[in-house]
Amino acid sequence: MKLLTTNRLQDGVTLWWGENGWVEDAALAARLDDAEADDLLAEWKPRETEVVAPYLVPLNDADAPVQREHVREFVRANGPTTGPTTSDIARAHHRVEIFQG
Amino acid sequence: MYIYDAFDHAFARDRVREFSDQVRRRLAGEMTEDQFKPLRLMNGLYLQLHAYMYRIAIPYGLLSSRQIRKLAHIARTYDRGFGHFTTRTNMQFHWIKLADAPKILEELSEVEMHSLQTSGNCIRNTTTDQFAAAAKDECEDPRPWAELIRQWSSNHPEFSFLPRKFKIAITAAKKDRAAIRLHDIGLHLTPEGFDVFVGGGMGRTPALAHRIRTGLSGSELLSYLEACLRVYNRYGRRDNSFKARIKILVAALGPDEYKRQVEEEWATLDKSRIDPPQAEIDRIRSFFPAPDLASRPFDAAAHERAKTADPEFARWVKNNLNPHKNDEYVSVTVSLKPIGKTPGDVSHQQMDLLADMADRFGNGELRVTHEQNIVLPHIAKADLYDLYRELDTVELTTANIGKITDIICCPGLDYCSLANARSIPLAQDISNRFADAAYSDKIGDLSIKMSGCINACGHHHNGNIGILGVDKQGVEFYQILLGGRADENAALGQITGKGLSAEDVPAAIERVVQLYLQLRTDESERFIDTLERVGRPTFAEALHEPA
Repeated sequence: MKLLTTNRLQDGVTLWWGENGWVEDAALAARLDDAEADDLLAEWKPRETEVVAPYLVPLNDADAPVQREHVREFVRANGPTTGPTTSDIARAHHRVEIFQG
Repeated sequence: MYIYDAFDHAFARDRVREFSDQVRRRLAGEMTEDQFKPLRLMNGLYLQLHAYMYRIAIPYGLLSSRQIRKLAHIARTYDRGFGHFTTRTNMQFHWIKLADAPKILEELSEVEMHSLQTSGNCIRNTTTDQFAAAAKDECEDPRPWAELIRQWSSNHPEFSFLPRKFKIAITAAKKDRAAIRLHDIGLHLTPEGFDVFVGGGMGRTPALAHRIRTGLSGSELLSYLEACLRVYNRYGRRDNSFKARIKILVAALGPDEYKRQVEEEWATLDKSRIDPPQAEIDRIRSFFPAPDLASRPFDAAAHERAKTADPEFARWVKNNLNPHKNDEYVSVTVSLKPIGKTPGDVSHQQMDLLADMADRFGNGELRVTHEQNIVLPHIAKADLYDLYRELDTVELTTANIGKITDIICCPGLDYCSLANARSIPLAQDISNRFADAAYSDKIGDLSIKMSGCINACGHHHNGNIGILGVDKQGVEFYQILLGGRADENAALGQITGKGLSAEDVPAAIERVVQLYLQLRTDESERFIDTLERVGRPTFAEALHEPA
């Protein structure tokens, strides 16, 4: 089984192929059999005004990306694992007026 | 600082028009990604894991208050409210939309900034001493020379497609704060002229640069650099990107033979067509006048009372200040390494406040350091407590400069498409482990530098403790290096053994630190001094013993 993923041309946002098209939520990604995945990849590779460099992510028996793709795809799916940004921290702790703008 | 003339403004406007049209054509489908990618990279725009990343050039780390306000505006308007300072003293925005990139470039041009040569196999941002024009130990201000190099190397037709990227650093101080021997070319300006070091670097094959020339006159600097680059451009390897940096060529030829070829090439050059006349050097120097520092009597008794009343201020004074040429002033380093947070990140609110502080207390000037902090170079001692209290309102008073939590760290696999492992979360874990201020102060000066891949953006080769993230069949591991340093006694760290898991690294570092505290002769012997005296193997053993 495989996942099909890419980045959207306009904003670079990570996309996953879902049941009915591209979705931003990796939890909604479709588990594709190999033939279907290859067909979809061939269909989307030339559609360069919509997506950039789509590719397939092989899955293991536990339905997770295999080996070296695992951490990378986890981060792509879930966003940075760095916790709150400095902006979030600052907003939580300091004067309201300096956060306007 | 340097001010754009009509030529510079026209150049920037042309680039905005050109890049806007390139983006328009890409979005309209008139260009493929393969055609567009080299063009966007020439303008500092990368596509990373979650979005486009825009790398903004900050020449030799120098920022005006007006410029950092613009960066705050860009963070607020086009990104997620924050930016990230890099070890090349540039700024990266990690959440950019392609369609917004031309507008951002246009906004940058309004404050004499751009993103050119922040990517690609060209001469990248020249870096220098963050305390330039303020440090007691420098012989002259190195920034006019850095600006001269910037102008010479911008869009240089011969050096826009080198075998690989090329980095230059320059210092004019006795103490090397610019890591010159870790650069493709390092320049040390002394009263006798420039010492030229060539062939240093990090990455897959780390090397310290070799001195090939001493006492080079500033009036001949550019032609000599041109000769160095020409030999590299002619003979540097283009068949293997892993062996394409100048350090490989210098190692293959040997420093003496490389120098011979440079000197031979230099002799053939028409220097009058390359080296600027003295009037041009003087013109560039005129943009960097000595700061106009009013006499500000310092009430030492009041300062001591403030330190007694506010121990956190006392720690900040102890750890974050650098002596200034003018004894009534100091240089302040503002830490961007709050405990447990992302090294080098800065919010738009913090950038706006830094601009205000620069205007109010510091001649409107800021510097970005390659250690990913900010320097206010000219602060009257009389203003220190007022400045501290303002910085404290936006969590910019972490008192850890040069200490174990002042960690250099690349964005790693949380953002970067080249990375093999995450680096920020591990930096956060290490920072949290050594969060206790008294413990950190007891340890003293100790640099930890971490990269998420072999490209070494986090300078792991020259950290006293270096950490390199690697991927082993889908699991992140971290190789630990010991003994690196980036100062005037530069040394490369050595890998100590097999990689550790992220969970094991903080405890392993603590074992090394505990061993250092046991072995040091007294508090004045720094970690690196003890390690060099005792030897790496003793510390490597502690690093890898069972927890």
